[in-house]
Amino acid sequence: MHDMETKLRKAAKDLLESGKVETVVGFQNGSLPLRTRPHFVRDASVADTLVWNRFCTNNLAAYLPRLFEKPASVRGQWSPPKIAVAAKGCDARSIIGLIKEHQVPRGSVVIIAMPCQGMVDPRKADAAAGEAVTDCHAGADGAFEVTTVSGRTRTLQRDQVVAEACLGCLHPAPAIADVKVEGPSQAPAAERFARAREFEAMAPAQRWELFLKEIAKCIRCYACRQACPNCYCKSCFIEQSKPNWAGAGDDPSDLLLFHIGRMFHQAGRCVECDACVRACPMHIDLRLFTQKLVKDVEELFGYVPGASLDDMPPLCAFQSDDSESFITHP
Amino acid sequence: MSMCASANPYLAKPVTIEKITVENAARDLKTFRLAFCSRADREAFKFDCGQFAMLSVGGAGESPIGIASSPLDADYVEFTVKRYSTGVVSTALHAMEEGERLGLRGPYGNSYPLAAMEGRNVVIVSGGFAFTTLRSTIRYMLDGRNRSRFGSITTIYGARSPGELLYKDELKAWQDVDGIDMHVTVDKGEAGWTGREGFVPTVLGEVKPSSANAVALVCGPPIMLKFTIKPLLDTGFVPETIFTSLERRMSCGIGKCGRCDIGGKYVCRDGPVFSFKQIQELTGGQF
Amino acid sequence: MALGVISKEHLGKLIAAVSRTGRFLGPVDKGDGVCLTQVSAGDMLALDYVNFILPPKRMFFPRSEVIATHGSDGMTATPLPEGRVVLFGIRPCDVLSLVYLDKVFLDEKYADPYYRSRRDNAVIISLACRQPAPTCFCTSIKGSPAGKAGADILAVDIGDVLLLESVTATGEAFMAEYGKLLDKPSAEQVSSRQAQVAAADAKMARVSIDQATAKLRARFDAAAWDELTARCLGCGVCTFLCPTCHCFGLYDEQVGGQNRRVRAQDACAFPAFTLEASGHNPRTRQGMRMRHRMMHKFCYTAESFGEIFCVGCGRCIRSCPANLDIRETLTEVSK
Repeated sequence: MHDMETKLRKAAKDLLESGKVETVVGFQNGSLPLRTRPHFVRDASVADTLVWNRFCTNNLAAYLPRLFEKPASVRGQWSPPKIAVAAKGCDARSIIGLIKEHQVPRGSVVIIAMPCQGMVDPRKADAAAGEAVTDCHAGADGAFEVTTVSGRTRTLQRDQVVAEACLGCLHPAPAIADVKVEGPSQAPAAERFARAREFEAMAPAQRWELFLKEIAKCIRCYACRQACPNCYCKSCFIEQSKPNWAGAGDDPSDLLLFHIGRMFHQAGRCVECDACVRACPMHIDLRLFTQKLVKDVEELFGYVPGASLDDMPPLCAFQSDDSESFITHP
Repeated sequence: MSMCASANPYLAKPVTIEKITVENAARDLKTFRLAFCSRADREAFKFDCGQFAMLSVGGAGESPIGIASSPLDADYVEFTVKRYSTGVVSTALHAMEEGERLGLRGPYGNSYPLAAMEGRNVVIVSGGFAFTTLRSTIRYMLDGRNRSRFGSITTIYGARSPGELLYKDELKAWQDVDGIDMHVTVDKGEAGWTGREGFVPTVLGEVKPSSANAVALVCGPPIMLKFTIKPLLDTGFVPETIFTSLERRMSCGIGKCGRCDIGGKYVCRDGPVFSFKQIQELTGGQF
Repeated sequence: MALGVISKEHLGKLIAAVSRTGRFLGPVDKGDGVCLTQVSAGDMLALDYVNFILPPKRMFFPRSEVIATHGSDGMTATPLPEGRVVLFGIRPCDVLSLVYLDKVFLDEKYADPYYRSRRDNAVIISLACRQPAPTCFCTSIKGSPAGKAGADILAVDIGDVLLLESVTATGEAFMAEYGKLLDKPSAEQVSSRQAQVAAADAKMARVSIDQATAKLRARFDAAAWDELTARCLGCGVCTFLCPTCHCFGLYDEQVGGQNRRVRAQDACAFPAFTLEASGHNPRTRQGMRMRHRMMHKFCYTAESFGEIFCVGCGRCIRSCPANLDIRETLTEVSK
């Protein structure tokens, strides 16, 4: 890990010194245990503030639409900045998605492909340890040595500490590597779409009940939307007044409209980075539903979001032999 | 438990649209003359020039609109509203007809500094449809009961084109009134226009009203304000004697919801009227 | 000022007694956090927690509520809630937030009747903190793990029993009403409470806030704020979880043929918060919005109401997905 961090810092320094990029987006140490925070390095002299460890969870692609937005104060021609991103597999897939959706110019982004063994979920670690974890180190065998707030140390297994999204990750290696940082990476998960299949095995009435139960916790803070790299609309449908798709209150139908709307807007685009799940203060099981949609799109259209720059997202393209199995006659 | 309506600051009082006047050639500015349905509500509604009220269209929403009628107009309240295609309320409002009902909450906000204006000359500079509350002020000052309280009144008011001028009948009538010096201008004239042509700040520069014992009330779009403040300062007005009415999107109108906050002041509670000195302190002079 | 002890078993009897004529809400472990929930029995309560996920403001100022309906002859307010509600287990920091919110909602000129009736109907039994979290900093902002401001009764958990102290006349009357379930505290129990409170106080980290209001006023410079908040996602979690954040919107809606007015919480962190119909938006960048949030909380409210509207509960620190830490921001701007 230390080795990868050193390599990342060197890569960042080189990119900045050579003028190839103006900003390197990565992580720096956070103020809470088991956390880092997104970091924007603009000068090679501070490249050493970048870190790379098992707590680099955020999907940094979420910052790119904003960084590549032409400022309102600029009239006429504008050159987008050149930005490098220390990207895990999920971040890279998001970036590729954003390139295809014209939010990020390909020529302006440098993907620093980082190896990933799965990131730690602090909430999971706390729950497994029975109390707040203050320190956490990965051992060579994949287990973790943790120290808790009462001073006790113990060993936790990988699946007790690593985030669900990472345990089920099918694409740990970035599909594009403009710069590659070598290091150990996890293999793709053996079980594909385990949770979605579990969900599919339920009867429709049960699925609806589970969905309603989860969504009932929602306080409409829209953190899921803001944390998601795919949600870059200037005006989200849920906030439009013309037409007024949904009310401001807590009518179940309004709540459902937001979540169903947002989930279907993710179909064929969600890279299962879990940014939404981490941001949600009410711990709603959001990704269960988007995973189902990701599975559906892969099975119906053979499309994996962010795997390649060359294919079009299925909801943006039409082939005459597209599956129509899901279209029902009234 | 039933709620006494006056004790609930969120409830609008019912009003009927008595008269609708289309003010401009583009037909997107209308003056609504409203009458309270209840006498008690009408008697309770006392306001000062510069204040605003929240107008609501059932099922659409509420908007804060400056009061355009004079406080001395006892039987009705007038509002001049621009229709924005993006605006739910203004669009709904413009689709309404005489006889239909609206809701009204208010009056809210502070007023033009009438106490500071007493015994002084009043210079009014305005552009576009920001003129509404200043029209209220002019009507109030010109009223026989009030005229002697104020010194000379100089008004510079402009619109983009002749068809866009508001209150055309009153503007014309005021040309002939002794107690007020009117300078009406348009950015660009057209066939039949015999009046002045020129941007408001330019006309201000030409008229050069004296700052001696004077107070300036300035209302217009941010760009006009920017180019008006400087000439006023140059002729001797000071930030404490220049007043304007600020705008922000509002929701509650009663200083609770936080939406209209500028630098710690709520436009609905501490404004909308602010002196330029206050604006310099709040926002470094930006509108 | 009345003192009494109640055993944790008798707490169940108290809940049952209160529930006969009103509602009793207390801390319930929902698996992924503790929530203030209506309970009918003592064994539903969880007493070992840092704080509720959601702040108590929602008990008085719900995330959304229909406040009135429009009829042909005007607006009719939604009937006000009735019946006593006992809110048990609210931490002293959160209770202090209610004192601050009172300044907004219960001002003389435009008192909010919905908030007022809920406040009048509530009996607040706060629960002192035994183990502050590393993210707590109430003692830096006029608070304390056993602070009494705003509570009707302060409860301190000293092991087998809770030691109750009435703070207001309402609290005293409540303790008198249920006097049969309470015992007189022993000298030992009183000193045990003292020790526990002091220990909790000592564990609290200190953040320097004194200069914040003055320094913030001087630091309106936009560029610095853009830098400080570059990683802010504008997600609004800090706003919705903050005990004192109270920005809201009024919305008129048509639902099922009925016109109604809804009041719903909003966040200045959202870009559309200040967006006008003309398209003009005075706060276009996230840095400007976060600057406003900090200014409003640490500067403007101090100027308008005499109080910094932060109680040091630490929710924003724990829940920010980008790890923006208000303690660091305050230290940075106080330089």
